[in-house]
Amino acid sequence: MSATKSLHPDEKLKANKLGSRLFAIGGAAGALLLALSVVLGGAIDQGFAWQRFFYAYLVAWGFVCSIAVGSLFFILSHHLVRGKWGIVLRRVAEFITGSLPLLFLLGLGFIIPVLAGYKHLYYWSEPGLHDASHPLYHHMHNKLGWFDPFFFAGRYVLYFAIYIGLARWFAGKSKAADDLDEAGAAALAEKMRVWSGIATLVFSITTVFFAFDLFMSLSPTWFSTIYSVNWFAGAMLATYCTLALFTRAIQRSGRITHSVTVEHYHDIGKYMFGWTFFWIYTAFSQFMLQWYGNMPEETVFYNYRMFSQWEWVSWALLFGHWAFPYLALVTRWTKRILPLLMFFAVWQLVFHYVDLFWNVMPNQQWLVEGKLVLGPLQGDPALHKVHFHPVDVTLLFAMIALFLAGVGRSMKGNLLPVKDPKLGESLAFENY
Amino acid sequence: MDTHDHSHDHDDERPVPPPGGGDHDHGDDTAAAGADDELHGLLAEFETPGALIAAARKVKNAGYTDFDCYSPFPVHGIDDAMGIKRTRLPLVVFAGGIAGLIGGAFLQWWMNAYNWPWNIGGKPSWSIPANVPITYETTILLSVLTTFFGMWAANKLPQVWHPFFRLDRFARVTDDGLFLGIDASDRRFELEQTRQLLVAAGATHVEACYVDARPEARQVPKPIFAVMIALGMLALIPLVQIYKARATRSSQPHWHIFSDMDFQPKVKSDQPFPDFADGRGNRGHLAGTVARGQLAADDLFDRGLDHGAWTTSLPPQITVDDAALDRGQERYNIYCAPCHGYDGAGHGIVPERVKRIGGVWEARNLVAPDSVAIAMPNGQLFNTVSNGFNTMMGYAAQVPVADRWKIVLYVRALQRAQNATRDELPPGATVR
Amino acid sequence: MSDSATQEPSHAADGHGHGHAHGDHGEAQASFRQVTDDIVGVAFNPTPKWWYPAFGLALIMLGCLVVALVHLFKTGIGVWGNNNIVGWAWDITNFVFWIGIGHAGTLISAVLYLFRQDWRTSINRSAEAMTIFAVAAAGIFPIIHTGRPWFAWWLIPHPNDMGMWPQFRSPLMWDVFAISTYATTSILFWYMGMVPDLATLRDRSKDKVRQIVYGLLSLGWRGSARQWHRYERAYLILAALSTPLVLSVHSVVSFDFATSQNPGWHTTILPPYFVAGAIFSGFAMVATLLIPARSLFKLQHIIKDDHIEAMCKIMLATGTMVGGAYAIELFIAWYSGNLWEWFTFKNRILGPYAWAYFIMVSCNLLVPQFFWSKRVRKNMYAVVALCLLINVGMWFERFVIIVSSLARQAMPGMWGYFSPTRWDALTLIGSFGLFFTLFLLFLRFLPIVAIAEVKAVSPAAHAGKDH
Repeated sequence: MSATKSLHPDEKLKANKLGSRLFAIGGAAGALLLALSVVLGGAIDQGFAWQRFFYAYLVAWGFVCSIAVGSLFFILSHHLVRGKWGIVLRRVAEFITGSLPLLFLLGLGFIIPVLAGYKHLYYWSEPGLHDASHPLYHHMHNKLGWFDPFFFAGRYVLYFAIYIGLARWFAGKSKAADDLDEAGAAALAEKMRVWSGIATLVFSITTVFFAFDLFMSLSPTWFSTIYSVNWFAGAMLATYCTLALFTRAIQRSGRITHSVTVEHYHDIGKYMFGWTFFWIYTAFSQFMLQWYGNMPEETVFYNYRMFSQWEWVSWALLFGHWAFPYLALVTRWTKRILPLLMFFAVWQLVFHYVDLFWNVMPNQQWLVEGKLVLGPLQGDPALHKVHFHPVDVTLLFAMIALFLAGVGRSMKGNLLPVKDPKLGESLAFENY
Repeated sequence: MDTHDHSHDHDDERPVPPPGGGDHDHGDDTAAAGADDELHGLLAEFETPGALIAAARKVKNAGYTDFDCYSPFPVHGIDDAMGIKRTRLPLVVFAGGIAGLIGGAFLQWWMNAYNWPWNIGGKPSWSIPANVPITYETTILLSVLTTFFGMWAANKLPQVWHPFFRLDRFARVTDDGLFLGIDASDRRFELEQTRQLLVAAGATHVEACYVDARPEARQVPKPIFAVMIALGMLALIPLVQIYKARATRSSQPHWHIFSDMDFQPKVKSDQPFPDFADGRGNRGHLAGTVARGQLAADDLFDRGLDHGAWTTSLPPQITVDDAALDRGQERYNIYCAPCHGYDGAGHGIVPERVKRIGGVWEARNLVAPDSVAIAMPNGQLFNTVSNGFNTMMGYAAQVPVADRWKIVLYVRALQRAQNATRDELPPGATVR
Repeated sequence: MSDSATQEPSHAADGHGHGHAHGDHGEAQASFRQVTDDIVGVAFNPTPKWWYPAFGLALIMLGCLVVALVHLFKTGIGVWGNNNIVGWAWDITNFVFWIGIGHAGTLISAVLYLFRQDWRTSINRSAEAMTIFAVAAAGIFPIIHTGRPWFAWWLIPHPNDMGMWPQFRSPLMWDVFAISTYATTSILFWYMGMVPDLATLRDRSKDKVRQIVYGLLSLGWRGSARQWHRYERAYLILAALSTPLVLSVHSVVSFDFATSQNPGWHTTILPPYFVAGAIFSGFAMVATLLIPARSLFKLQHIIKDDHIEAMCKIMLATGTMVGGAYAIELFIAWYSGNLWEWFTFKNRILGPYAWAYFIMVSCNLLVPQFFWSKRVRKNMYAVVALCLLINVGMWFERFVIIVSSLARQAMPGMWGYFSPTRWDALTLIGSFGLFFTLFLLFLRFLPIVAIAEVKAVSPAAHAGKDH
């Protein structure tokens, strides 16, 4: 079971121009699409200027951010449990986390407007809430301090400081090991393993509040203790899908073709299966408990997604993000026939987007016959419509392009952690 | 059941093979076989798992099919070497799981939503979120049972005896022994040739295995049958008891195991209680007190009396509107219509039934032009509804005061309807 | 960390069955034989002296259970300290406690198998046995905590004159199905794993009685490779089925609380939080049992220090997860703006059960932090002591959740206090008695380590192979 292999002598290990090309193309395409999105978004008249744009921005940004954050956890968890199979993928994951600084800057694209007083993205930034006569004052007044825009922005900076700090430390050490001898590399690997414990702890606390602050607070009178765990599950699912696709794409360019084998993809497939399960587990826990308890301050979230046009999206999520891929990924063959696996990786990524869309979009404030419906998830759900708009697509592709640019920028040097002491075992890895 | 048939050990005086391990003496056991002994096959022993795998491959390549390897643990790689086809058990398990899924869902639907639907907390009878947990468990349970029993069945176990158990050496198969056995029934089997093949494949020891061909030796011993039949009979006893209990009657009183539950030391309504002077459990009204809601101080509202005389109007608590009339109609139809009929003419089902069986029962006609009820003041009508008249019982205990007034209101409406003149008809009404 | 060391790269690929790297020529067989001798010895050697007093004590505790239950059935729930507002107390605390302990066994058996952690093979048999006995102890409580437990059979749907069916939409019914499925699956998985080892015991038995009993139980297993193939497949499938099962069982138990509307109970994170807590307490119990057992049976070379260390790390991780869940609940209780939710949590920390909360947090969050230190992880006395504290803490966690939430409900008229009676205590002690009695019997008569599995992951299992 624990055999080792060494790197294939003809193996192309270096990223060479791949990273810089990705940076250039991604950056250019991304910038263009972003500009286009701004133009499209500004033109939408929903009653509130720019609301639709910012919501689409948040969904698209959240999509790529979840992959970057998930990749960080991939790295930390592998160090923590001394996982062997995934070592060949770890460097790719490190490159993905290299996009975090750019994502931080992109996130400022909605954080700064909130700081400047834009109140149609996060309802808690509505100044009227501080007035005791506001109908939602009763629900909100205790947490207005928490939602002070500067405190909020400060927390945003802190989250990214932690994520970027962790990413750079672990990716940095991993890269440094490439240039050391066996003993030096082993020492670094050990150091990373020792620190991965506390790093995982810090990561977890950060992610809990990250999801609460950026996504759950869109509906500030609603709450769910499992929300971040569900967000995290979706992020991990997306991460594994991305790792599969990205590694395959790199292999298409002729690099690391011997090192990452069908055995590794099989394992990625198993994790895709596992995280799909964990996603539905957390999603169902949240749904069933709030449905069963039937308490209006909680059920409002699901009323909106069950008794309006959003019902179709909810069903699509159930079958598309869970039932169908779960059944498909149960068999060995889906995981070992690479075109099939790639199909499901793309499929799950699409539905991860739908999941975020479903989470975020219904929280928009809206006008009914010209009258303002107060706050998110207020008013008759049946009157609320699902809007798809081209700006969703342009922003999504803009974010993906910019994300890839960020990844490309850090994609230098070896594509595998060549000096990792367990690399040999990872290369020889064979599944059941 | 004795799995090692020691009773035949000395029958044929074959030399006991020397202990193996490092000894390349290919044991001599071709001494004269008994006339009634049948060759089952050859058993070869190997020193290492690797040797066993190599030998298996040789035997398979030589065209043998009726052979098997025996080891104390599953040897990785032997499946390929022997050409063992992948078992179809997973498919069977999948089918079992689907059966569990459908069964669990159907069980809950049929019992809770179809056969006897209950309203639990206003939730739908077929409450999918609430029905998921049990369906999930039944899916797993059926899958597990299918796996377990399917595997043993496919392996044809329990099979407490096998010819190789006759060989003492074989006792080490669960300890440290690695064996390869070829059955004589194989087409290519030929004692000497096969033996040489095994030796060439690296066997440290080869032994022939003989079985007793006599039919008597193959029979299940009589005591075993006796035990099985006895157990079967014993198992039937509880079923017979249950059947007897369900099919017969008994004049014996119930067994009282928990007498303090069956004869609870408490006083029920209208039961005697010797500790009070009057011997009653009921304490009746306390002098000088009135129960809440039972003061009934309003003569007009509670008794229909306006300064001592029956009121001809309605008490101020009753507003004459559609809601009051609807309520009056509903209550009248429940309480009054059985005798007085839906139209108030006194032909309700009770008097009609009495007449049909030959009795006499008149329910008053409330709406005939000459009916006593037409001239009766409202208060007196109210009094009759509350306290009854002649054979009519009073309904004060069943119908709250306000509802009784609404019944009075409805009776008046019935009277007006039945005695209307042509010009009182609403426009557009047809007369037949 | 994996016990099976990396294969020496010096194996020459010489194409013949007889390789000449070390581990061949009888050395492989000797290593297998050693494992057999060690474990069969536990079952076949004369009963160790310590077993008798231990078993005697366990039987006395089991006797307490019998006495407590007879008294309970005869007299009623009033013999416990449960009162009108605190309707669930030690009974349900014990139930959740025992079910939680059972989870480690399934995790070790099934989940670690799926993650290819070979070190599990030394402890999985005992851990699975522990699961079954813990579930047996747990299963008593839902039945006895009802006023008329003799009607418990109505929980099982059966045709009857009244046409009455159970209410499947209730979490208490979900419990019935989840726990029966869990008990069934655990027993079948445990038994299936034991069959090859029971065959080993059969083949080493010297007396007729043992031969017959082990012979029957081992179904005539003969180690056939064709049978091993299906067996291994079935093992993998059962492991793959047990994983979602174990997640679901404690989630269903958590639904007992989370589907209600009680503040402190109704929270969406309860299912994964309970599962993490179950794994946490289960591992603590496994360690508590196996560290003394391996010393007493001299199995330190099979149940190694490394394995204990791995368990400590898992406890550290799950304990921290549980602590994290406490923090998340507390934060959201404040964030929600719901007065009753926030009060419930303040009440836990400052109210009449603050002492219980303190025990809970110190034992569950602070104690496992000692496992950061390698010195602590390697000191067996320290590990057992810490694991005992962890189990105390986990018992108190359920106590705090149940009793402190119930003791202070929405109006002062619905405030109360629970104090246990001696019958509560006897029942709890008795449940430990049942658990230990069964476990000691297991230690005495059944293969306590998965002999075949240990052999399969040992280096000798690859002896003679050309790579």
